[in-house]
Amino acid sequence: MEQLSGTFSYEETAYHLPVTYALTGTAVHSADEARAAFRATGESALVAAECLTAATEAAGKGAPPPYTGFLPDAVLRTLGYSLVDGSILGLAVVAGTPQSPDAAAALCRELQEKYMLTFLSGGIVDSLTGAGVKVGPELRLVPLGDRPSSAIHFIDIIARVAMMFGGVAPGDADRLLSYAQERAKAIAIVFPGLGDDETAMFDAFRLLGIPILSAGEYEGNEWIRVSVSEAVRTGMDLKGIKVSVTAIPIPMACSPAFEGKSIRKEEMFVEFGGGRSPAFELLRCRPVSEVEDGRIRVIGPEIGELKAGSAVPLGIIVEVAGKAMKKEYEPVLERRIHNFVNYGEGTWHVAQRDIIWVRISKDAVSHGVRIEHLGKLIAAKFRMDFPDLLDAVQVTLITDEQEVLAAKKEAERVYEERDERIRGMKDTDVDTYYSCTLCQTFAPNHVCIITPERPALCGAITWLDGKIAYEISPSGANQPVPKGRVIDAERGEFEGVNRFVKKASHGEVARCSLYSVMEYPMTCCGCFECIAVMLPEVNGFMVVNREYKGDTPSGMSFSTLAGTIGGGAQTPGFAGISKTFILSNRFLQAEGGIGRLVWMPAMLKEELGERLVRKLTERGLPGMFDKIADEKIAVTIEDLTAFLARIEHPALAMKPLL
Amino acid sequence: MTISTLSDWTGEVGTVTIGATKADGGTRSGTVTIGGERDLAFIGNPPTGNRPLIAYELCDDPSLWPAPVIRFLGDRASDPAEWARFAAGEYRPDLIRLYLTSTRKRGFSAFAAITTTVENILQATGLPLIIEGSNDPELDSEVFRRIGEAGEGERLLIGTAEAGRYRSIAASAMAFGHLVIAQSPIDINLAKQLNILLREIGLPHDRIVIDPYTGALGYGFEYSYSVMERIRTAALKGDDDLAMPMISSAIDSLTVKEVREADPSASDRTSVAWELYAMLPATVAGASIVCVRHPSTIQPLKAAIEALWSPPGGGA
Repeated sequence: MEQLSGTFSYEETAYHLPVTYALTGTAVHSADEARAAFRATGESALVAAECLTAATEAAGKGAPPPYTGFLPDAVLRTLGYSLVDGSILGLAVVAGTPQSPDAAAALCRELQEKYMLTFLSGGIVDSLTGAGVKVGPELRLVPLGDRPSSAIHFIDIIARVAMMFGGVAPGDADRLLSYAQERAKAIAIVFPGLGDDETAMFDAFRLLGIPILSAGEYEGNEWIRVSVSEAVRTGMDLKGIKVSVTAIPIPMACSPAFEGKSIRKEEMFVEFGGGRSPAFELLRCRPVSEVEDGRIRVIGPEIGELKAGSAVPLGIIVEVAGKAMKKEYEPVLERRIHNFVNYGEGTWHVAQRDIIWVRISKDAVSHGVRIEHLGKLIAAKFRMDFPDLLDAVQVTLITDEQEVLAAKKEAERVYEERDERIRGMKDTDVDTYYSCTLCQTFAPNHVCIITPERPALCGAITWLDGKIAYEISPSGANQPVPKGRVIDAERGEFEGVNRFVKKASHGEVARCSLYSVMEYPMTCCGCFECIAVMLPEVNGFMVVNREYKGDTPSGMSFSTLAGTIGGGAQTPGFAGISKTFILSNRFLQAEGGIGRLVWMPAMLKEELGERLVRKLTERGLPGMFDKIADEKIAVTIEDLTAFLARIEHPALAMKPLL
Repeated sequence: MTISTLSDWTGEVGTVTIGATKADGGTRSGTVTIGGERDLAFIGNPPTGNRPLIAYELCDDPSLWPAPVIRFLGDRASDPAEWARFAAGEYRPDLIRLYLTSTRKRGFSAFAAITTTVENILQATGLPLIIEGSNDPELDSEVFRRIGEAGEGERLLIGTAEAGRYRSIAASAMAFGHLVIAQSPIDINLAKQLNILLREIGLPHDRIVIDPYTGALGYGFEYSYSVMERIRTAALKGDDDLAMPMISSAIDSLTVKEVREADPSASDRTSVAWELYAMLPATVAGASIVCVRHPSTIQPLKAAIEALWSPPGGGA
């Protein structure tokens, strides 16, 4: 820096010396200004390299064509365009002089094939030319200069992209660094032949989050030692740069457009689960070494060996790996299997876990769809929809009954473990709830508020799931809801919840009680597992589940009730709830608790069974299980009233609801 | 009867300025600003925000354009620059909207012609421009880069981004300083989703204009009207992801059976009627830019908007 003299600048740029300008906010055009900036940045190796390079190139002493030297702003704009547009996936700089020109050539070809724009500095250019590789910007191999120090242009490019596209203000070094670390998909690969200053310069690249992959003899610093053949993959993995999947290779159309279709019995070739055969689905997170991306296995008979119209066992096991993937994400991702299978034109899926029901249509089978293609579809969709989260997805499909039953045992253990995690949590333990507005597609003003003790009314999303879904996709349908000041603890009304609901319901709903069916109850979309209905004649509530088709003491069947309360409206006296919410201490809290429960269909009673008996005992109501009527006891309000009076149901003695 | 709602709204529609004059680094003779509404129009209070504007639509390959317009224009339609000069000079729309229909023909590869066409249109008229590129993902990258480059500094409104293909258009807007039309198929949730996607890629909300997709009168227009109202009320209720001005173009108006099969002597009159009676209600539903293809629609539509937006009995 001491030998610098006179004035110098780059041409065709509005960013002066871009790295220095971005870091300090000052426009350097002379040796004295350069030295001042160098001191101001604590003797930054990047600033030094830039000033020296600029002075050399301004004096006409830069490397001659085909070396490009400094790239003008116009080229940068086009480059930034390709990055945003996705036609290039990331940036790489390759510097130094490789020992084996052929290995270096292979490395650069790999970078080209993976849509990386590659910059070359130093002896690498001659090595490539010698090995017969053509270089030039149009080939995505840009020769910056004949010395490794010309790699500083790689940083001036990133600095200008940050200022042009990222809104980073010149001089805001913190923003620049965080932009580069989070947004710039850039890697550096170094071969031997770097001088001390150049080594210091590359070392400073790491501040910008650029991994330095050393295919040379460098030791004693934070560089990552790799063999030439694995450099590109390692670098791209480290920065999460992924070549995306665009087409799914199966003989069936696949799009959200098919999500709503159903496959009727006459149209079906084969079905799985749905109470007709054992079936389950399970998604597990595995170490990267155990998952081979795109691997699909079918254990048991394939489609050709199945009888048309039959019910066959099925196990869907999805194993995923990814740097950012966490075990807690498993249930949230597992729920996506439902959507993905329904995207297939000839495949249909309902429910979750070990109660799934899947069908494949005759039409699809006649076009060549096999069980294997279910796996291909699932694997590809996971990769497409979670490119930042998942690096590899493999799917195992089991159709052999013994194998399904064995694997299902393990799956049930996992489900239980997941349920256990949320079971102990109380609403008072957290200060943030989560929203779910997934159903606003058809109920535009509906907002679910999910708390540890109140899962979403569809039963599919718990508070933990909401939290995780928010982590995975921060602008998705699950948003954090700070609960704020308590307005009414009994009814579960909170200032923060009200504020959120008002905004998310587009002003339609101003107040929401989480624990009351009578005052400001939560709105309903259409997905509720059950409906709780107030029965004024008996001073209690009945709960009816979706699967129950018969009449109820309210005088309405489930489908009539659902039509009355759905669509995002607030209907006092009625609430859409999940099955597990019946077992929550918050169920009917404002109305006096579970003692108000007077009627449920027998199938729901049986399903909750032991768990309900235990909960009732815990709430001081031993023996109440038998006092809850079902359709075998009463389907009219008159019969129900008589029954409740005869067995002295506790609800009759409670405070009048109206 | 008047219904006062102004005080209930918590949000307002953002403004977007299209075009750049010499002072802003462009070559347009003026700029236009749309948006800024704080209430629904015509429910009692005087209209808020900027008055709706008319864009005149033309294309670079007339073989893909409605016959009544081509019959009316004759040879002028064979040269988009001449077409733009004629329409802007004689009929005075507020903006010109160029469709690069040439890119929609099978096997298109004349990318250099895009640059030339855009440059010629910029020469031919000083009005702010809207440019519609390809609608084939295979071509998008090159087409939108060319449009962006050719119009650098002009603050063009570029279309049309959709949920599946928005990256090239957003890239063009970000790299060369333009604005984006974000279209969704008559669906408020998809409209919102696309705006979020655009924001995540780095395009700020004040550079987006929503196209809710407009069906022709009698061919789905009422659905479009309804979704425009829903998008607008969502914006006024504080949903920032929907608080952008809207553009509406009932592009099928001149290809519906009634216009196609009209008696030749009534062709122009019928065309004007179908465009006028779709685009005027679109302004009432909240559209800030309405688009027409028959030059003769421009003046009556302008007069009708003028009459609606001016207070009764004259005045300001």
